[in-house]
Amino acid sequence: MGLEDQLQENVMTTKVDAMVGWARKNSLWPMPFGTACCAIELMATLASRFDLARFGAEAIRFSPRQSDLLVVSGRVSIKMMPVLKKIYDQMPEPKWVISMGACASSGGVFNTYTLVQGVDQYIPVDVYIPGCPPRPENVIQALIKIQEKVAQAKAN
Amino acid sequence: MGNEVENHEEHRAEGVGQHGRSGSEPGNVTTRIRARYGDAAVRGGNAVGCESVIAERDTHLPFMTFLKDDPELSFDYLVDVTAVDRLQLDEEIRFAVVYQLYSYKHNRRFSVSVPVPEADPWIGSVVSVWPGANWLEREVYDMYGIVFEGHPDLRRILMPDDFGSHPLRKDYPLHGKGERDNFVF
Repeated sequence: MGLEDQLQENVMTTKVDAMVGWARKNSLWPMPFGTACCAIELMATLASRFDLARFGAEAIRFSPRQSDLLVVSGRVSIKMMPVLKKIYDQMPEPKWVISMGACASSGGVFNTYTLVQGVDQYIPVDVYIPGCPPRPENVIQALIKIQEKVAQAKAN
Repeated sequence: MGNEVENHEEHRAEGVGQHGRSGSEPGNVTTRIRARYGDAAVRGGNAVGCESVIAERDTHLPFMTFLKDDPELSFDYLVDVTAVDRLQLDEEIRFAVVYQLYSYKHNRRFSVSVPVPEADPWIGSVVSVWPGANWLEREVYDMYGIVFEGHPDLRRILMPDDFGSHPLRKDYPLHGKGERDNFVF
Protein backbone atom coordinates (compact mmCIF):
# COMPACT_ATOMS: atom_id res chain seq x y z
CA MET A 1 0.00 0.00 0.00
CA GLY A 2 2.92 2.23 0.56
CA LEU A 3 1.58 3.81 3.68
CA GLU A 4 3.30 1.28 5.92
CA ASP A 5 6.61 2.09 4.29
CA GLN A 6 6.30 5.71 5.27
CA LEU A 7 4.94 5.22 8.76
CA GLN A 8 6.90 2.03 9.35
CA GLU A 9 5.89 0.17 12.54
CA ASN A 10 4.36 3.07 14.41
CA VAL A 11 0.89 2.64 12.88
CA MET A 12 -1.21 -0.37 11.93
CA THR A 13 -3.92 0.01 9.29
CA THR A 14 -7.17 -1.95 9.40
CA LYS A 15 -10.88 -1.64 8.71
CA VAL A 16 -13.21 0.10 11.14
CA ASP A 17 -15.47 -2.99 11.31
CA ALA A 18 -12.55 -5.20 12.28
CA MET A 19 -11.27 -2.80 14.90
CA VAL A 20 -14.65 -2.21 16.51
CA GLY A 21 -15.44 -5.91 16.37
CA TRP A 22 -12.12 -6.71 18.03
CA ALA A 23 -12.84 -4.18 20.79
CA ARG A 24 -16.40 -5.37 21.36
CA LYS A 25 -15.60 -9.05 21.48
CA ASN A 26 -12.98 -8.55 24.15
CA SER A 27 -15.13 -6.42 26.41
CA LEU A 28 -18.51 -8.12 26.57
CA TRP A 29 -20.68 -6.98 29.45
CA PRO A 30 -22.98 -9.85 30.35
CA MET A 31 -26.42 -9.39 31.86
CA PRO A 32 -27.18 -12.56 33.84
CA PHE A 33 -30.80 -13.69 33.84
CA GLY A 34 -30.33 -16.47 36.35
CA THR A 35 -33.47 -18.30 37.43
CA ALA A 36 -32.17 -21.76 38.34
CA CYS A 37 -29.14 -24.00 38.83
CA CYS A 38 -27.57 -22.87 35.53
CA ALA A 39 -26.96 -19.52 37.23
CA ILE A 40 -24.80 -21.32 39.80
CA GLU A 41 -22.65 -22.74 37.00
CA LEU A 42 -22.52 -19.27 35.47
CA MET A 43 -21.21 -17.91 38.76
CA ALA A 44 -18.63 -20.70 38.86
CA THR A 45 -17.54 -19.73 35.36
CA LEU A 46 -17.07 -16.16 36.50
CA ALA A 47 -15.15 -17.10 39.62
CA SER A 48 -11.41 -17.58 39.93
CA ARG A 49 -11.10 -21.22 38.89
CA PHE A 50 -12.52 -20.71 35.38
CA ASP A 51 -12.15 -16.92 35.35
CA LEU A 52 -14.24 -15.46 32.54
CA ALA A 53 -12.10 -12.33 32.86
CA ARG A 54 -9.61 -14.11 30.61
CA PHE A 55 -12.09 -13.42 27.82
CA GLY A 56 -12.89 -9.88 28.89
CA ALA A 57 -16.41 -10.75 29.96
CA GLU A 58 -16.17 -10.50 33.72
CA ALA A 59 -17.96 -7.14 34.11
CA ILE A 60 -21.34 -8.58 35.05
CA ARG A 61 -23.99 -5.85 34.98
CA PHE A 62 -27.31 -6.24 36.72
CA SER A 63 -28.69 -3.41 34.67
CA PRO A 64 -29.72 -4.27 31.11
CA ARG A 65 -28.92 -0.73 30.00
CA GLN A 66 -25.22 -1.34 30.65
CA SER A 67 -25.04 -4.76 29.04
CA ASP A 68 -24.61 -6.20 25.58
CA LEU A 69 -24.77 -9.96 26.29
CA LEU A 70 -27.89 -11.52 27.81
CA VAL A 71 -27.27 -14.91 29.42
CA VAL A 72 -30.59 -16.68 30.03
CA SER A 73 -29.64 -19.32 32.56
CA GLY A 74 -32.55 -21.25 33.96
CA ARG A 75 -36.25 -21.96 33.63
CA VAL A 76 -38.52 -19.22 32.34
CA SER A 77 -42.20 -19.47 33.22
CA ILE A 78 -44.96 -17.73 31.34
CA LYS A 79 -45.18 -15.27 34.23
CA MET A 80 -41.45 -14.53 33.96
CA MET A 81 -41.28 -14.26 30.16
CA PRO A 82 -42.61 -10.65 30.02
CA VAL A 83 -39.84 -9.68 32.46
CA LEU A 84 -37.20 -11.31 30.29
CA LYS A 85 -38.64 -9.64 27.19
CA LYS A 86 -38.56 -6.26 28.87
CA ILE A 87 -34.95 -6.75 29.97
CA TYR A 88 -34.00 -7.76 26.43
CA ASP A 89 -35.78 -4.70 25.02
CA GLN A 90 -33.98 -2.41 27.47
CA MET A 91 -30.53 -3.55 26.36
CA PRO A 92 -28.91 -1.15 23.90
CA GLU A 93 -27.91 -2.35 20.44
CA PRO A 94 -25.82 -4.18 19.47
CA LYS A 95 -26.72 -7.10 21.73
CA TRP A 96 -26.35 -10.84 21.80
CA VAL A 97 -28.14 -13.64 23.65
CA ILE A 98 -26.89 -16.92 25.07
CA SER A 99 -29.54 -19.51 25.98
CA MET A 100 -27.82 -21.50 28.69
CA GLY A 101 -28.92 -25.04 29.51
CA ALA A 102 -31.76 -27.32 28.53
CA CYS A 103 -34.54 -25.36 30.25
CA ALA A 104 -33.89 -22.01 28.62
CA SER A 105 -33.31 -23.67 25.24
CA SER A 106 -36.23 -26.11 25.14
CA GLY A 107 -38.03 -26.28 28.48
CA GLY A 108 -35.83 -29.20 29.50
CA VAL A 109 -37.57 -31.84 31.56
CA PHE A 110 -40.25 -29.34 32.55
CA ASN A 111 -42.74 -30.10 29.81
CA THR A 112 -45.57 -28.57 31.83
CA TYR A 113 -48.36 -26.05 31.55
CA THR A 114 -46.45 -23.12 32.96
CA LEU A 115 -43.00 -23.29 31.42
CA VAL A 116 -41.94 -21.58 28.19
CA GLN A 117 -40.63 -24.33 25.90
CA GLY A 118 -37.55 -22.41 24.76
CA VAL A 119 -36.99 -18.68 25.11
CA ASP A 120 -36.21 -18.47 21.37
CA GLN A 121 -39.96 -18.39 20.81
CA TYR A 122 -39.94 -14.81 22.07
CA ILE A 123 -36.40 -13.41 21.86
CA PRO A 124 -33.66 -14.11 19.29
CA VAL A 125 -30.93 -16.43 20.57
CA ASP A 126 -27.40 -16.46 19.15
CA VAL A 127 -25.83 -19.41 20.97
CA TYR A 128 -27.44 -22.35 22.76
CA ILE A 129 -25.57 -24.28 25.42
CA PRO A 130 -26.70 -27.88 25.99
CA GLY A 131 -26.45 -29.46 29.42
CA CYS A 132 -28.34 -29.72 32.64
CA PRO A 133 -26.62 -27.67 33.86
CA PRO A 134 -23.72 -27.10 31.43
CA ARG A 135 -20.23 -27.23 32.85
CA PRO A 136 -18.21 -23.99 32.92
CA GLU A 137 -16.17 -25.26 29.96
CA ASN A 138 -19.37 -25.27 27.90
CA VAL A 139 -20.12 -21.70 28.96
CA ILE A 140 -16.62 -20.62 27.95
CA GLN A 141 -17.07 -22.40 24.61
CA ALA A 142 -20.33 -20.50 24.10
CA LEU A 143 -18.61 -17.22 24.92
CA ILE A 144 -15.91 -17.96 22.33
CA LYS A 145 -18.68 -18.64 19.79
CA ILE A 146 -20.28 -15.31 20.70
CA GLN A 147 -16.91 -13.60 20.31
CA GLU A 148 -16.57 -15.03 16.80
CA LYS A 149 -19.99 -13.67 15.95
CA VAL A 150 -19.30 -10.28 17.53
CA ALA A 151 -16.06 -9.94 15.61
CA GLN A 152 -17.93 -10.38 12.33
CA ALA A 153 -20.64 -7.85 13.13
CA LYS A 154 -20.77 -4.50 11.30
CA ALA A 155 -19.52 -1.55 13.31
CA ASN A 156 -22.64 0.57 12.97
CA MET B 1 -22.91 -45.46 74.06
CA GLY B 2 -24.66 -48.51 75.47
CA ASN B 3 -27.08 -46.33 77.42
CA GLU B 4 -28.08 -44.37 74.33
CA VAL B 5 -29.03 -47.52 72.48
CA GLU B 6 -31.02 -48.69 75.47
CA ASN B 7 -32.93 -45.40 75.70
CA HIS B 8 -33.65 -45.47 72.01
CA GLU B 9 -35.18 -48.92 72.30
CA GLU B 10 -37.30 -47.81 75.24
CA HIS B 11 -38.77 -45.03 73.14
CA ARG B 12 -39.57 -47.42 70.35
CA ALA B 13 -41.28 -49.73 72.78
CA GLU B 14 -43.54 -46.91 73.90
CA GLY B 15 -44.46 -46.17 70.33
CA VAL B 16 -43.68 -42.46 70.42
CA GLY B 17 -40.32 -42.55 68.67
CA GLN B 18 -41.64 -42.48 65.11
CA HIS B 19 -43.49 -39.19 65.28
CA GLY B 20 -41.30 -37.43 67.79
CA ARG B 21 -42.32 -36.43 71.26
CA SER B 22 -46.08 -36.30 71.16
CA GLY B 23 -46.32 -34.26 74.38
CA SER B 24 -49.40 -36.10 75.54
CA GLU B 25 -51.11 -39.40 75.01
CA PRO B 26 -53.07 -39.79 71.78
CA GLY B 27 -56.76 -39.10 71.84
CA ASN B 28 -56.65 -35.94 73.89
CA VAL B 29 -57.57 -33.57 71.07
CA THR B 30 -60.59 -35.49 69.88
CA THR B 31 -61.66 -36.05 73.49
CA ARG B 32 -61.60 -32.32 74.06
CA ILE B 33 -63.51 -31.65 70.82
CA ARG B 34 -66.07 -34.30 71.75
CA ALA B 35 -66.56 -32.64 75.14
CA ARG B 36 -67.21 -29.30 73.48
CA TYR B 37 -69.14 -30.24 70.33
CA GLY B 38 -70.44 -33.76 70.98
CA ASP B 39 -69.77 -37.08 69.26
CA ALA B 40 -71.15 -35.97 65.88
CA ALA B 41 -68.33 -33.45 65.46
CA VAL B 42 -65.62 -36.09 65.61
CA ARG B 43 -65.44 -37.81 62.28
CA GLY B 44 -62.16 -38.87 60.77
CA GLY B 45 -59.76 -40.35 63.27
CA ASN B 46 -56.12 -41.25 63.25
CA ALA B 47 -54.80 -41.01 59.70
CA VAL B 48 -51.08 -41.79 59.16
CA GLY B 49 -50.34 -41.39 62.84
CA CYS B 50 -51.80 -37.89 63.08
CA GLU B 51 -55.07 -37.13 64.75
CA SER B 52 -57.58 -35.54 62.43
CA VAL B 53 -61.24 -34.64 62.06
CA ILE B 54 -63.53 -33.80 59.18
CA ALA B 55 -65.29 -30.49 59.82
CA GLU B 56 -68.30 -28.88 58.17
CA ARG B 57 -67.64 -25.75 56.17
CA ASP B 58 -70.69 -23.91 57.56
CA THR B 59 -69.30 -24.05 61.08
CA HIS B 60 -65.58 -24.46 60.50
CA LEU B 61 -64.60 -20.87 61.33
CA PRO B 62 -65.74 -20.91 64.99
CA PHE B 63 -64.40 -24.46 65.18
CA MET B 64 -60.94 -23.36 64.04
CA THR B 65 -61.04 -20.44 66.47
CA PHE B 66 -61.84 -22.93 69.22
CA LEU B 67 -58.86 -25.10 68.25
CA LYS B 68 -56.58 -22.09 68.54
CA ASP B 69 -57.98 -20.39 71.64
CA ASP B 70 -58.88 -23.36 73.83
CA PRO B 71 -56.10 -23.61 76.45
CA GLU B 72 -56.14 -27.40 76.40
CA LEU B 73 -55.61 -27.46 72.63
CA SER B 74 -53.85 -24.15 71.83
CA PHE B 75 -53.06 -24.83 68.18
CA ASP B 76 -51.24 -21.56 67.74
CA TYR B 77 -49.37 -22.43 64.55
CA LEU B 78 -51.02 -23.06 61.19
CA VAL B 79 -48.43 -25.20 59.42
CA ASP B 80 -50.13 -25.48 56.04
CA VAL B 81 -53.35 -25.02 54.14
CA THR B 82 -53.79 -27.20 51.10
CA ALA B 83 -56.55 -28.94 49.20
CA VAL B 84 -57.32 -32.32 47.69
CA ASP B 85 -59.12 -32.87 44.41
CA ARG B 86 -60.83 -36.23 44.89
CA LEU B 87 -62.19 -36.37 41.34
CA GLN B 88 -60.87 -39.86 40.72
CA LEU B 89 -61.57 -41.08 44.22
CA ASP B 90 -64.85 -42.50 45.37
CA GLU B 91 -66.00 -39.36 47.16
CA GLU B 92 -69.33 -37.60 46.98
CA ILE B 93 -67.85 -34.12 47.51
CA ARG B 94 -65.05 -33.31 45.12
CA PHE B 95 -62.69 -31.03 47.05
CA ALA B 96 -61.40 -30.99 50.59
CA VAL B 97 -59.44 -28.14 52.15
CA VAL B 98 -56.93 -29.51 54.65
CA TYR B 99 -55.45 -27.56 57.56
CA GLN B 100 -52.31 -28.80 59.30
CA LEU B 101 -52.06 -27.43 62.82
CA TYR B 102 -49.36 -27.46 65.45
CA SER B 103 -49.36 -26.48 69.11
CA TYR B 104 -46.09 -25.13 70.47
CA LYS B 105 -47.49 -25.28 73.97
CA HIS B 106 -48.33 -28.98 73.89
CA ASN B 107 -45.95 -30.05 71.07
CA ARG B 108 -48.85 -31.66 69.27
CA ARG B 109 -50.09 -31.85 65.72
CA PHE B 110 -53.60 -31.99 64.36
CA SER B 111 -55.24 -32.08 60.96
CA VAL B 112 -58.63 -30.70 59.92
CA SER B 113 -60.25 -31.60 56.61
CA VAL B 114 -63.23 -29.65 55.28
CA PRO B 115 -65.17 -30.96 52.23
CA VAL B 116 -65.98 -28.33 49.60
CA PRO B 117 -68.39 -29.14 46.74
CA GLU B 118 -67.45 -28.43 43.14
CA ALA B 119 -70.66 -26.59 42.25
CA ASP B 120 -70.20 -24.00 44.95
CA PRO B 121 -66.51 -23.93 45.84
CA TRP B 122 -66.17 -21.53 48.74
CA ILE B 123 -64.97 -21.77 52.33
CA GLY B 124 -64.47 -19.24 55.11
CA SER B 125 -61.02 -17.69 55.34
CA VAL B 126 -59.02 -18.33 58.52
CA VAL B 127 -56.77 -15.30 58.03
CA SER B 128 -58.56 -13.65 60.96
CA VAL B 129 -57.51 -16.62 63.14
CA TRP B 130 -54.00 -17.25 61.81
CA PRO B 131 -52.63 -14.33 59.73
CA GLY B 132 -50.17 -16.76 58.15
CA ALA B 133 -53.05 -18.32 56.23
CA ASN B 134 -53.03 -15.38 53.83
CA TRP B 135 -50.63 -16.67 51.17
CA LEU B 136 -51.52 -20.32 51.80
CA GLU B 137 -55.16 -19.64 50.97
CA ARG B 138 -54.14 -17.63 47.93
CA GLU B 139 -52.21 -20.64 46.68
CA VAL B 140 -55.18 -22.95 47.18
CA TYR B 141 -57.37 -20.43 45.36
CA ASP B 142 -54.85 -20.22 42.54
CA MET B 143 -54.39 -23.95 42.13
CA TYR B 144 -57.91 -25.27 42.86
CA GLY B 145 -60.26 -22.31 42.36
CA ILE B 146 -61.64 -22.56 45.88
CA VAL B 147 -62.81 -19.12 46.99
CA PHE B 148 -61.96 -18.08 50.55
CA GLU B 149 -64.76 -15.84 51.80
CA GLY B 150 -63.48 -12.99 53.94
CA HIS B 151 -59.91 -13.18 52.66
CA PRO B 152 -58.38 -9.66 52.68
CA ASP B 153 -56.54 -9.98 49.36
CA LEU B 154 -57.62 -13.02 47.35
CA ARG B 155 -55.50 -12.86 44.21
CA ARG B 156 -53.54 -15.53 42.36
CA ILE B 157 -50.13 -16.00 43.92
CA LEU B 158 -48.18 -18.21 41.48
CA MET B 159 -49.86 -18.09 38.08
CA PRO B 160 -50.33 -14.88 36.06
CA ASP B 161 -53.45 -12.90 36.93
CA ASP B 162 -55.09 -13.66 33.57
CA PHE B 163 -54.26 -17.38 33.60
CA GLY B 164 -57.87 -18.51 33.70
CA SER B 165 -57.42 -22.12 34.83
CA HIS B 166 -56.71 -23.87 38.11
CA PRO B 167 -53.85 -26.20 37.27
CA LEU B 168 -53.86 -28.60 40.23
CA ARG B 169 -57.38 -29.73 39.47
CA LYS B 170 -57.29 -33.33 38.34
CA ASP B 171 -59.13 -32.61 35.09
CA TYR B 172 -56.49 -30.06 34.03
CA PRO B 173 -54.07 -31.50 31.45
CA LEU B 174 -50.35 -31.69 32.31
CA HIS B 175 -49.33 -29.59 29.32
CA GLY B 176 -52.07 -27.06 29.96
CA LYS B 177 -54.68 -25.76 27.58
CA GLY B 178 -52.25 -23.88 25.34
CA GLU B 179 -51.42 -21.18 27.89
CA ARG B 180 -47.67 -21.68 27.57
CA ASP B 181 -47.76 -21.18 23.79
CA ASN B 182 -50.43 -18.54 23.36
CA PHE B 183 -49.91 -15.98 26.09
CA VAL B 184 -49.63 -12.33 25.16
CA PHE B 185 -47.35 -9.68 26.66
